[in-house]
Parts: sequence; structure tokens; C-alpha cells
Amino acid sequence: MKKQLIAALTAASMLFVTSCSEQSVVREQKSQTQITLSWWGNDTRNEYTLEAVRRFEEKYPDIKVKCSYSEWSGYEARNQVQMVSGTETDVMQINVGWLSQYSADGSGYYDLEQLSDTVDLTNFSDEMLAYGRRGGVLNAIPIAMNAETVYINKTVYDRYGLSVPKTWDELFSAAEVMKADGVFPMAGAAKSLWLYCVAYAEQAGGRQFFTDDSRIAFTEQDFLTMIEFYNRLVNESVIPKVEDFQKFNIDSGVYAGVVAWVSDAMNYFKEPLARGDEIIAADYTVLPGLESGTGWYAKPATLYAVSRNTEHPREAALLLDFMLNSPEWAELQGIDKGIPVSRSAREYLDSAGMLSGLQYDASLVMENNTLISQMNSVIEDSALYNSFIDACDLVLFDKSTAEEAAAKLCEEYKAAGYVFA
Amino acid sequence: MADSRRPGQSIKNIRRTQIAMIFGYAFIVIAAVLTVTYLSLRKTDTVLKNEVTTLTSSLNVQMKLNLESYMSRMETIATLAFGDKLSYTYDATDPNNDEYEAINNEKVLSEKLYSLCIMENFVDYGIVYRNNRTVGKISNATSSLFGDRLFYELEKMISNPRYGDGWFTGFEDNFKRIYYVKQIHDNALLFISFYSYELGEVFDNPETLSDMKIRLVDKDYNIIYSKNSDERGLPLPEEIRKRIEGYSSASLLDDKYLVSVNRTGDWFVVCSIPTQIILNEKNEMTRFLFFTGIAAAVAAALVGFYLSYLLIKPVKSLVSDLDDKASSDRLTGILNKLAFEEMSSACIEHTLETEHRALIIFDIDDFKAVNDNYGHAAGDRLLRATGEILRSLFSEDDYLGRIGGDEFCVLVNSCLSDEKALRESVEAKCREFGKRLHSIAYFTEKSADITASIGISLFPENGRSFSELYNACDKALYRSKNDGKNSFSFFDPDTEREGEQ
Repeated sequence: MKKQLIAALTAASMLFVTSCSEQSVVREQKSQTQITLSWWGNDTRNEYTLEAVRRFEEKYPDIKVKCSYSEWSGYEARNQVQMVSGTETDVMQINVGWLSQYSADGSGYYDLEQLSDTVDLTNFSDEMLAYGRRGGVLNAIPIAMNAETVYINKTVYDRYGLSVPKTWDELFSAAEVMKADGVFPMAGAAKSLWLYCVAYAEQAGGRQFFTDDSRIAFTEQDFLTMIEFYNRLVNESVIPKVEDFQKFNIDSGVYAGVVAWVSDAMNYFKEPLARGDEIIAADYTVLPGLESGTGWYAKPATLYAVSRNTEHPREAALLLDFMLNSPEWAELQGIDKGIPVSRSAREYLDSAGMLSGLQYDASLVMENNTLISQMNSVIEDSALYNSFIDACDLVLFDKSTAEEAAAKLCEEYKAAGYVFA
Repeated sequence: MADSRRPGQSIKNIRRTQIAMIFGYAFIVIAAVLTVTYLSLRKTDTVLKNEVTTLTSSLNVQMKLNLESYMSRMETIATLAFGDKLSYTYDATDPNNDEYEAINNEKVLSEKLYSLCIMENFVDYGIVYRNNRTVGKISNATSSLFGDRLFYELEKMISNPRYGDGWFTGFEDNFKRIYYVKQIHDNALLFISFYSYELGEVFDNPETLSDMKIRLVDKDYNIIYSKNSDERGLPLPEEIRKRIEGYSSASLLDDKYLVSVNRTGDWFVVCSIPTQIILNEKNEMTRFLFFTGIAAAVAAALVGFYLSYLLIKPVKSLVSDLDDKASSDRLTGILNKLAFEEMSSACIEHTLETEHRALIIFDIDDFKAVNDNYGHAAGDRLLRATGEILRSLFSEDDYLGRIGGDEFCVLVNSCLSDEKALRESVEAKCREFGKRLHSIAYFTEKSADITASIGISLFPENGRSFSELYNACDKALYRSKNDGKNSFSFFDPDTEREGEQ
């Protein structure tokens, strides 16, 4: 009995001691793969992109997306810093011109065909994918097509009894009527007005800006035409100076028209449309006797690329596919960047009745125009249009003659490395 | 068969004591364990609340420091603009400006400003002049939001006269962007803005604190930042607000919320979590502790039960042994007189009127002669044999006792339902007893004719208590003796009365 008692007490003691022994606590935190995404855009784009990223993270809880974004102004320089310093984001929205700038032989960005098991490339035609190829390597996938578009606030034009201008002359005539009230029949930011003037000069000179091998085909005379045209536009109050361009003047109706990208339709005209103004995507302005579209260019709106240095290609591919092809993203993006070229995104928008509105109309004007040319992305270089505006200002403020300014401009281009035909 | 192992009072007492010990011990153990558990829980509760409050307070302070660090970085980046002399010498409102020179100055200044904010997610980074002319990065959203009141509205955002700067959000209920404004000179303001979304990095609480809501609110308690973007711009929920109003740095815990607040400038960092979520963990701990306590109490009670069993078992055995010895006749092994009377009295006392019992007294005839003629040893053998005969004749339910030198008594408890059957059974047993007694006459060296006189009384006809039955039985025995012995007689009241007369 004594033995039983001792055994029982020993067992109880062991149980007590065991239960009281210290246990180490291990608490594992959820580990996530972080990838980075960059884009430029306005408020609307930023907001829906952030929301779409949230949806993506919800769908793939193991992936965290760190966003880097800004408005277009300054973004180009930011992208350059990132690209040359090797700090570019894993997935990035890029401009078509950057392909030639950073990936001359196709090695500047990730080869997306290596990710085709994750990114559904069958949604894109070969023609569209060709925009993203460099040296045969698929560097980027276009989101939509884009073109400078002539937006007219028809409500303002109607107020002055003016019809929607189709020619430059009609535009100058409209300015005659409107300038008494300080209203401009047209306005635009630097790059838009640069392309606006290029269009005029191509129509006037019958020459395209670039040769097929990317040499500048314009002559000094063509640049003179452009400078004189810009100065005339400003002096005759067709447009405000580039430096005076203020977005809130679109809201107030001070600018009765704007030349801007298809993708900028809602960025610029949200307020007037909300107010009830009738905004239309007009025909591309031309000289009398020419067909609308002559001298105007279209390009992929923007493209998505993946960093060649990415450490997480699978996750980047998942995000890329989600952005290009998923209904979740398409629902939020709508036609903000233009009509998506991805078949599945386009079908979703069509079935959801989202293919409508000013931006859609602008896209149709672009798509239905047979004369509009495919843009050589070099024409968007900021060095080209900034120098042009500087040259225009020289003339505008009587610092030099137009001829001198044109000659100086050509010299600057040559000094910057542009080759003339 | 009723034998010497009657349930004695001592055993009953020991059993009662044992039960009292077990239950008393169990009660004390359980009460002690529960008390200790309760006190531990109270203490743990207090410690837990203090710890959680402290941790939340620490988290809040950390968030505040994160925010201040972030804001300080933004201010530093904004101040970099002063690195270019043009930024504080150029005045776009100066009527003496040469327009061309002004445009070029603005281009240079814009380039400079762009390069300074290049790597940040700024919405705006620019300078606005009193005539609302801007340079640098000015978003369309800001342009639309303020229109031609840009300078006027931004100037009002300056709240810190020492540095001539200020933070602001919520202009016309727009909480999407946060603005920082710094005066350059009377006609120029430097300002930056970024999305409140950017504060997600600042307030990114760890997964383990995912239930904690972290919000940044302005001085009017409107939410500037919350992880739930739908909340931004809305007033802080009333139940949170009323708890922190008036505090600039505090942590409070009550039945519903644990709330912590810290002021930074005109804004407050507010961390809150429903107390219920904290209590869930505490309740889990409470259940665990009570379960452990109950398990310990049950285990202790079982051990106590086992120990008391070990302790009581020898005592019970000893007492039982003593009890047996005290209640039995040592010669025959059946009950002694005292025990028989106690048990029979108790039995009859609890017998119903509808039941039937019989009391029988066996008296060995001329027993003295057996002793005299064959010795006391033979007499003892006869008595032992008589006990054996009675054991073999009567059932386990019947009480057997030796109530005198040669007198035996049996309380018949069987055949209780039918008086006639009882009589017949008793008669048969008496006859059989006579036969068997006679047959053992040969156990002595010399033959002796051993007989017995038997008296029988019945319950309830002849008495309703043991003493009544015994008297009646004694009278019936006396009659058997008078009738020439070696016979049995039932008590007959009429015969007894005649005899008395």
C-alpha cells in the first residue's frame, strides 16, 4: 500500500512539474512577397489603380504591392533616374518612346514571353504586341491606343454662334469672336501644342516629321512654319501661351477647346461634363482641302513592362495579367486609358455597357480615321518640344526673328544628337 | 441467514465519518482551488489590462513618431526648394518683371522643383504666387479644387508662425490629399501635397495587432487616414470620440473600448480596439484556468478519497471484527441475546401490519441432565449442533439467536404474505427441528433422547412489538413444557386465558 501511495504521489508530482515547465512561445508573422508598381496619372487614375491594387492583394494575399506614382509632369525624369540607377519598379507603366530609349536591342526590359504561362498573351493581336517588341523580344504590352484629340466645348461655341471648327482658318475666325471675352477657342499643354504645330507643318509642307529610319525630315523652313504658326495662334488669341495654360480655365469655360490625348478626356472635362456642357471629340483640324487626320499621329497609349532585374517575375506576371486581362481591373479602369486592346478586358467592358462617353467617342474618332499615322515615339521627347517652346518664346517676346529662332532650334536639335535627313 | 455480522452502530458511524471526510475534503479542496483560481484571475486580469493598455499606448506613441518622422521628411524635402536662390527672390506678382525673363525664370524654377520631388509620390510640389500663377508640379486636381483661390486658401493653412508653415487637409471636405504649406515671402507660398493613402506605410500595424484600428484625425476629429478608405473624411465614431475628447496623450480602457490618443500638431493619432476582442483572449484564459482548477480539485478529491479509503479500510475491518464478536454467541456463532433482541425489535418495529412474521423459542428439554450425565463438553457440542440445525433450517432472512443457556430464538422473516403458509412452514420447520435434534442424540458416547419444547407466536396476531411477541411465545413454550415437552405450541390467547383462570 505504501508503494502504491508513493507511486501515486510521484505520478501526481511529475504531472504538476510537467505542466508547470516553461514553454517557449513562437509567433510567426505572415510573410509576403513585395513587388513594386509604378505609373503616372491624374487623381482618377491614381485612385482606381490603388483600389485595383487592393483587389489584387485581396486575391493574392501573399503578395504586397508597393506603389510609386505621380502625375505625368516630372514622371519622365523620375523614370529615367530609376532606370539608370537600377531602382525601377518590378512592374511599370511606360511610354512607347522609352522602349527605344532603354531597350534598343530588347534587353532593357523583361522578356514577357517567358511569362506567357501566367500572362495571357492570346488576348492581344500580333499587330498590337509588335508595338512592345524590341529586337524581337516582347518588352511591353500596350494597354490602349492614344492620339492627340481636338476636344470642343460645344456649349461655349454655341453661345457664340460658332460651329465646331474643322480647319485652322475656322479656328482663327472663332478667336476673333471669342477674344473680346477673354475666351480661347483652343488651348493645350506643351507636348500637345508641339504635336499640334507639327500637324500643321506636315499639312503645309506635305512632309512627315521623321523618315522611316527616325531621322528628322523636317527642314529649317518647316520649323519656321511651326514657330510662326505657334506665334500666330498666341498673338491672335487662339490659344494661351503654353506657360499660361491652367486646368481650371477648362472648368470655367475660358478654354472653349483643348487639344489633348484621348486618355485625358475625363482628366480635363470632368467638371464641364458634370456641369452639363456638351463636349465633343471633333475632327482633327486640317488645312482647307485636306482630309481630317492628315499630319496627326496615334500611338499605344501606354504599355506595361516588367523590370529585367525583377527578383519576383512570377508575382510580377500575376499582377501584369491582372492589370491587362482581369475583369476586376477592367471594371475600375474602364476606358480611362482608352479602349483596352486586351480582348478579354474589352469584352468585359462591352458586356458591362462601359464603352461609352467622351473618351470612348475620342477613341472612335481615332480608330475610324484612316489617315492618322503611326507615331514614331521619338517625337515625344521632351528635349524636342521644350526647345521648340523656347524658340517660340524668343519670337513671341521679340528676342529674335522667327528665322533666327528656327535656325537656332535646328542647331540645338543637332547638338542634342538628332540626325536630319 | 442472519448471523453475527449485523450492521453495527460503530461501522455506521465510521462510514458516516468517511463520507463526511470525503465530502468535506472535496469541498475544502474545490473551494480552495476555486478561490485561488478566482484570485489569480483577478490579478491576471489587472495585469493583462495594464499590459494591453501599456502596449497600445506604446503602439500609439510609435505611430505618432512614425507620423512625425514622415511629416518631418516631407517638410525637409519641401525646404530643399529654398536651396535655389531664385525660389525666394523671384516674385511673379512684381509688375516690373520682364515677361520673357519671368517665363524663363519660371521654367528654370519649375525644372528645379521637379528635380527635387522626383522620387516622392507627391501630387503637388510647387510655388504659388499671390496672383495665382504657379511654378513647379501643380496637379490638375489641386488646380480644380482651389481654382483662382489657390493662394488665398493655401495662405490660410499656415498655422505655425514660428516657421511660417502648416499642415492641412479637408478643404471643402476633400480628405484625399494632405497639404503642407510654407511661406516664401509675402507673395509666394511653397506647397506640397500627397495622397492620404501614402500614410498607409506610416500606420501599417503589425499583423498581430490587425484588430487594432489606427486613425489619424484632425482637430475636429474628422478622419484624415484610416486603413478603411471609406472612413476617410468622416467624423471619428462617437463612441471613440467621447472617450478621447479633452486628452492630448492618454490611454483608456473600459468595458467597451481600449482607446489610445496622442497629439501631434493639430492632429491626433487614435488607436482603438473593442475590449471584447481583448477579453476573448482573457475569457479563453479564464476557461483554461477554471478547467485546470476543476481538474485539480477533482484529482485532489479522488486522491483524498483513495487516501481515506486506505485509512478507513483497516479501521473498518477492525471495528467490524469487534462488532461481530460483540454481537455473536461464541459457542454457536449465531446472534447473542442482546444482538438478537436489538435486531428483532428493530425489524418488528418497521414491519407493516399486512406482513406476517413468527417468533419461535426453542428450549432443549432436560439440558441440565445432558451436562450432568455427559459433561459440559457434551452440552456445548449439543448447543453447537442445535445452532447448526437452526442454520440449516432457516433462511438467510431469518434472525437466529441464543437467548439463554439452552434456549434459542428465531424471528422468521420469510413467507410474510400468507399467515396460513407461514404457520405451515413454521410447523414443518419445528417438526424437522425435532427430528434432527433427536437424530444427533447419538453424537454422545451414550444414547440420549434429546428433545426440545417450542413456543411460537405470530405477528401481528399475537403482538406488535418484540416484547409482546416474546411474552406470547414464552407462554406458548410454557404450554409445550406443561404438555409433556418435546412438542411445539402456537400461542393461543383463549387457551392462555383459560390456563390463567
